[in-house]
Amino acid sequence: MRVVVLSSSVSFSLQLSFLLILLVSVIRSNSSPSNDPFLGISPQDEKYYKSSSEIKCKDGSKKFTKAQLNDDFCDCSDGTDEPGTSACPSGKFYCRNAGHSPTVLFSSRVNDGICDCCDGSDEYDGQVTCPNTCWEAGKAARENLKKKIETYNQGLVIRRQEIEKAKVGLEKDAAELKKLKSEEKILKGLVEQLKDRKEQIEKVEEKERLQKEKEEKEKKEAESAAHEGKGDTEEKTDDSEKVEESTNDEGVPGVSQHDENPHDTTHHDEIGNYKDYPSDEEPAAEAEAEPTSILEEATHTNPADEHVVDTKEETPSSEDSVTEGLQNDDDTKKEESDEVKKMDDLVTEKKEELSKEELGRLVASRWTGEKSDNPTEADDSPKVDIQENHEHTPITPHEVEEDDGFVSDSDDTSDDGKYSDHEPEDDSYEEEYRHDSSSSYKSDADDDVDLSETTSNPTWLEKIQKTVKNILLSVNLFQTTPVDKSEADRVRKEYDESNSKLNKIQSRISSLEKKLKQDFGPEKEFYSFHGRCFESKQGKYTYKVCSYKEATQEEGYSKTRLGDWDKFENSYQFMSYTNGDKCWNGPDRSLKVKLRCGLKNELTDVDEPSRCEYAAILSTPARCLEDKLKELQQKLEKLMNQDKPQNHDEL
Amino acid sequence: MRSLLFVISLICFCSQTALSWKKEEFRSCDQTPFCKRARSRTPGACSLIVGDVSITDGDLVAKLLPKTPNQDDGDQIKPLVLSLSVYRDGIVRFRVDEDHSLNPPKKRFRVPDVVVSEFEEKKIWLQKVATETISGDTSPSSVVYVSDGYEAVVRHDPFEVYVREKSGDRRRVVSLNSHGLFDFEQLGKKTEGDNWEEKFRTHTDSRPFGPQSISFDVSFYDSSFVYGIPEHATSFALKPTKGPGVEESEPYRLFNLDVFEYDHESPFGLYGSIPFMVSHGKSGKTCGFFWLNAAEMQIDVLANGWDAESGISLPSGQSRIDTLWMSEAGIVDTFFFVGPEPKDVVKQYASVTGTSAMPQLFATGYHQCRWNYKDEEDVAQVDSKFDEHDIPYDVLWLDIEHTDGKRYFTWDSVLFPHPEEMQKKLAAKGRKMVTIVDPHIKRDDSYFLHKEATHMGHYVKDSSGKDFDGWCWPGSSSYIDMLSPEIREWWGGRFSYKNYAGSTPSLYIWNDMNEPSVFNGPEVTMPRDALHVGGVEHREVHNAYGYYFHMATSDGLVMRGEGKDRPFVLSRAIFPGTQRYGAIWTGDNTAEWEHLRVSIPMILTLGLTGITFSGADIGGFFGNPEPELLVRWYQVGAYYPFFRGHAHHDTKRREPWLFGERNTELMRDAIHTRYMLLPYFYTLFREANLTGVPVVRPLWMEFPQDEATFSNDEAFMVGDGLLVQGVYTKGTTHASVYLPGKESWFDLRNGKTYVGGKTHKMDAPEESIPAFQKAGTIIPRKDRFRRSSSQMDNNPYTLVVALNSSQEAAGELYIDDGKSFEFRRGAYIHRRFVFSNGVLTSTNLAPPQARLSSQCLIDRIILLGHSSGPKSAFVEPLNQKAEIEMGPLRMGGLVASSGTKVLTIRKPGVRVDQDWTVKIL
Repeated sequence: MRVVVLSSSVSFSLQLSFLLILLVSVIRSNSSPSNDPFLGISPQDEKYYKSSSEIKCKDGSKKFTKAQLNDDFCDCSDGTDEPGTSACPSGKFYCRNAGHSPTVLFSSRVNDGICDCCDGSDEYDGQVTCPNTCWEAGKAARENLKKKIETYNQGLVIRRQEIEKAKVGLEKDAAELKKLKSEEKILKGLVEQLKDRKEQIEKVEEKERLQKEKEEKEKKEAESAAHEGKGDTEEKTDDSEKVEESTNDEGVPGVSQHDENPHDTTHHDEIGNYKDYPSDEEPAAEAEAEPTSILEEATHTNPADEHVVDTKEETPSSEDSVTEGLQNDDDTKKEESDEVKKMDDLVTEKKEELSKEELGRLVASRWTGEKSDNPTEADDSPKVDIQENHEHTPITPHEVEEDDGFVSDSDDTSDDGKYSDHEPEDDSYEEEYRHDSSSSYKSDADDDVDLSETTSNPTWLEKIQKTVKNILLSVNLFQTTPVDKSEADRVRKEYDESNSKLNKIQSRISSLEKKLKQDFGPEKEFYSFHGRCFESKQGKYTYKVCSYKEATQEEGYSKTRLGDWDKFENSYQFMSYTNGDKCWNGPDRSLKVKLRCGLKNELTDVDEPSRCEYAAILSTPARCLEDKLKELQQKLEKLMNQDKPQNHDEL
Repeated sequence: MRSLLFVISLICFCSQTALSWKKEEFRSCDQTPFCKRARSRTPGACSLIVGDVSITDGDLVAKLLPKTPNQDDGDQIKPLVLSLSVYRDGIVRFRVDEDHSLNPPKKRFRVPDVVVSEFEEKKIWLQKVATETISGDTSPSSVVYVSDGYEAVVRHDPFEVYVREKSGDRRRVVSLNSHGLFDFEQLGKKTEGDNWEEKFRTHTDSRPFGPQSISFDVSFYDSSFVYGIPEHATSFALKPTKGPGVEESEPYRLFNLDVFEYDHESPFGLYGSIPFMVSHGKSGKTCGFFWLNAAEMQIDVLANGWDAESGISLPSGQSRIDTLWMSEAGIVDTFFFVGPEPKDVVKQYASVTGTSAMPQLFATGYHQCRWNYKDEEDVAQVDSKFDEHDIPYDVLWLDIEHTDGKRYFTWDSVLFPHPEEMQKKLAAKGRKMVTIVDPHIKRDDSYFLHKEATHMGHYVKDSSGKDFDGWCWPGSSSYIDMLSPEIREWWGGRFSYKNYAGSTPSLYIWNDMNEPSVFNGPEVTMPRDALHVGGVEHREVHNAYGYYFHMATSDGLVMRGEGKDRPFVLSRAIFPGTQRYGAIWTGDNTAEWEHLRVSIPMILTLGLTGITFSGADIGGFFGNPEPELLVRWYQVGAYYPFFRGHAHHDTKRREPWLFGERNTELMRDAIHTRYMLLPYFYTLFREANLTGVPVVRPLWMEFPQDEATFSNDEAFMVGDGLLVQGVYTKGTTHASVYLPGKESWFDLRNGKTYVGGKTHKMDAPEESIPAFQKAGTIIPRKDRFRRSSSQMDNNPYTLVVALNSSQEAAGELYIDDGKSFEFRRGAYIHRRFVFSNGVLTSTNLAPPQARLSSQCLIDRIILLGHSSGPKSAFVEPLNQKAEIEMGPLRMGGLVASSGTKVLTIRKPGVRVDQDWTVKIL
């Protein structure tokens, strides 16, 4: 059967078209309702209608006779009695569509003058003549289906590889995590020891310093005592006591030496705070709250404005011009630059005229809110927030790394910037991937490079351990004696280095832990999506969808967040991003990415079907599912089988 | 950082303004000097008397003179000219203007092209004036004939005009100036020292002719309520605005304005103005008063007892509603309509301003609109979704974004590269497209329309004589001067297929923003001292601007179709006469239950004042309706004369299939209900076209004696046969429905019978809102659905015969080609169906020369309320029997499809265009 279809090319075509004409005419002559009482009934259903002379409405509401079947009068409100006419509003018409797949139409399409079935069987009252297009349509459909199956076949192979890779990758991640954790434990101990030692040294140093000072003071005192009283000395002593106390009680490392540290700590806290509000709600709310009061003021002054305007003549009230100035500031941005110039000129020269134009815009904006569309305007607020509070976004990767170090201990922050998942081992694989998919790339490629160096070297920890041991031993020797300056520096340096290494490890641990918590799909087929972005250019916008992270719309240097990664939906048919930048007069932006089987990871068809609700399609081998392939194959088989009678007829 | 704060505060400023309408941006009566002056006058302040009465050209003509001779100061009151004319069917026209022979500074504006030319044919040439001294008066009054039952009285001193019944107590019907509040400010010539400027906010009105307002009181007798004077989002029966017990002290304002997010309960003026008021009282009698004036108007409905201390004695024993009418400019050109039946009044008004245009059939179907269907792909997608869900619709709409930068008559070449192809694809399914064309023209030297309009001087001028420059969608814009007939004709020519590139015969037009909306103008409109052709100030013509624009567009479409295609133009601004040019909608409403509720009184009011083809945006323009509200809105909206879903571009998509299968089903069923009733609606549109009686009517129009209906604006009649009760509350599944009259009512959903004259509590499940067919009526239906109305042309009819207590019923069916003007030449079918003595008869209502045939059959006749259980019927002239059996009331409907069985005459086989009888055996 398959052979027949495939060979029906040039040699067959003439014969075929002749036969098709025959076929069409057969259908035509058969299709008047009187000739075919069973018009519009599917083969599976024929039995139901043929079994007895009295037929029941399927909803049980009534019975009808065979004469009433397809008599163009609706007896059953569910349409049972009129499968082949338009008489029942809820009726369904079955077109056989030989050569293509059968379809079921609403009865409203029967004899409505439009050819709906490719075999033309829905139009039999002579209003229109419908050519039979089933063969061509069927052929095209089958070709499409075959192509699709081919895609699935190939995609499935890639998908299996992905799953294998995911397995390896996950194991590696787990192993790394395990290793890192044990290293962290050891390193933590070392750092503690170094810290103790450092503090001891510093205490000694401090003592020495005090001692020295005291001596110097005594010396000075001795000198000055000859000339003056001794009040000064008392003061000095007080001061130094205070310093001592604080160092002892709090045990803050290196207070005396690293003056920036306390400052750093508070900075650290601040970032932590922001991190607690990954969706920026808090800062945004703050930002809004303030101007609201400004606005209230403005509104309150309004009646007063009127008053002023009423009494004075040409000059608008000062408040008015201020608000108008404000408005103007905002508005001009959306216009072309020469407009801006013009407006600016107007600001200084003709306030009256400006206010009119400006008033027009203001009133227009109530309906349009259009300003918000343009990233340089009203909608800036979220963007401004980003720049203020999201200094760790991938826009500035260097800052990302720095921040990472500081926030490493806040585990459950869901914010970006911490996806330091780059694995050198995967590089080759990633490279390979980058080749076949132009639209995807790694987002945080340069994260944790130094860490990976260290982690890749199995002996680094031993080295450190050794070094520390040496230091501790050597420093110990000098414990009671005056501090050797170089030794002390060595301790401090070693402490700083180890501590920073520890921070990095901890950061890596937390990002790994977070990564492992992600939903990579039932077979981990989305593992490779982690840390990757897919890009699509549409008009002036570049859309960037970063899995497990965020989605953005970029135009030049301005960036609008379409949403943060939320989850997969509808059994992995969609990726959902929510809580994007707020829309003027609308919802927070959001994005739904439909996933479908494809050989490459490719982002297409980004659209905004409803205001600020975006949609896109991502082709990916991860969605080339076996079940779906089977389904398609069955469908094709069925279609091919269907051709059988027709081909049979030919021969 | 500072600039950052700036930006943020601006955003908040903008979003704050977006929350609700800015009351302070619009003038209150106190901020409107003429209104404030008129309102502060006391009864009896008018000192004018009537003199020099004569009959000239069939009119009563006289002078209005100061009672006491003028002092010798400069403020001389010049005599005014008064005229009273009488027209057939009980219409009195009363006019007052300045005396042109005394050389006023300029002619006051008389609104042209509103009164239909045929009206003059109705004039009764007065032959004589009778004199009569009203009891208590010192001087005589002039009395003229109006009709067999009525006469008009011009009382000389004190000056008063009224219509009274001739017989019996000579009861008054309507009177003008019975409280002596009449005032007529005469145009001034500016001399040094005069400062007539008025300021509002940042705007200054130069007012070169000084105060020129007119005010007077009008009283309606035997009146329980007054109605009309749209457009306001208020109750149908107008609440008093002044007097004892009235807190809200603003008059009803008639000033066409683009009001952002209007309130649902406010006397504030909206997009349109019709200064026509109707009163109705316990006696069942109705009368009306109409003031043809296009300037800003303010109207007070005065609460009982407002004049307690005035000392003026009016006829007692006649319940009366007093009103105060105030206008900024123009002349007194008023019409008294005597009624006495509600339908008489609307017919009388229609004979002055015209009946509503006969719409094309497609326009009575469902319209799908949104700001904006983005591009051709979006259009194709939405169109195909309707098919996918088997939801019929007739028109897809494109809002402003389809244009190239808000330049009307152009297309965005990226989004809509193939407009003709797109329209043809829709047309293949019998569907149309509507694009928006607004009156503001982008001031862009490279825009052909602007170039032409500038070159030809077609723009409205500012007070200094330059082309007026205001701000609207495209930014800096000028406005076509629609007052000039020449310019209107030029404008109409823009719609030819040649001039409007990308238009096809299936494209129709939407006129928005025609109040006109001027974003940076005073009260978001044009300055009052802007100038139209002939030196007419905008203040004088303001309320009619949008009307002329609508007219020009509509006439343009007629021209485009070479007079063969009925135009369809939707307008937002309205004025008396708008009904002749197309449909209107109630503007930018909001997705709230209260806005759904107020849509009914708004539509009832519009219908009562001539504009029957109206509707509110389904779902509410602003905001996102919850699915329940949207479903309820579709269920009510299916009975709006104009049935369109529309939404603001900030809202979520809300096409009927987007809220889950169940809600899709509910909305589809609502839309199906409308399509099923299209033959009935179309017949009613024809009735409105012939008589002016609206499609959707207040209950009291059908039941004038039933007092319980007078203030009911939650239920409404569709024609004389259907009563519909909306559901306006969230989560409600019950409704209390008052069913008026003595006859029974049949539930459209299940055929259940309810007695009239009672309030019934009944189920209102999510599937439907309560709707009833009145016993004694016959309603034609088409029970098969198609993609669009035009595809239903050949489908058979169903007649639903609801028998009354005497086993009788009657109804009509009107059919024409649904699109051309051939019906005017008799190409239509108009049948009358009467059921009496067990026989249903179809007779011809069309004149004998009428010629249109139809192959359509009546394939089902449903009998409701039949007293016996007949088994068959005999059909003549076919001379054959038809079976009668029990069948469903409605095929496939969500409610009626199951359970209920009604008597059904199966396949009588009669043609819709022929005489026949069906006798029940």
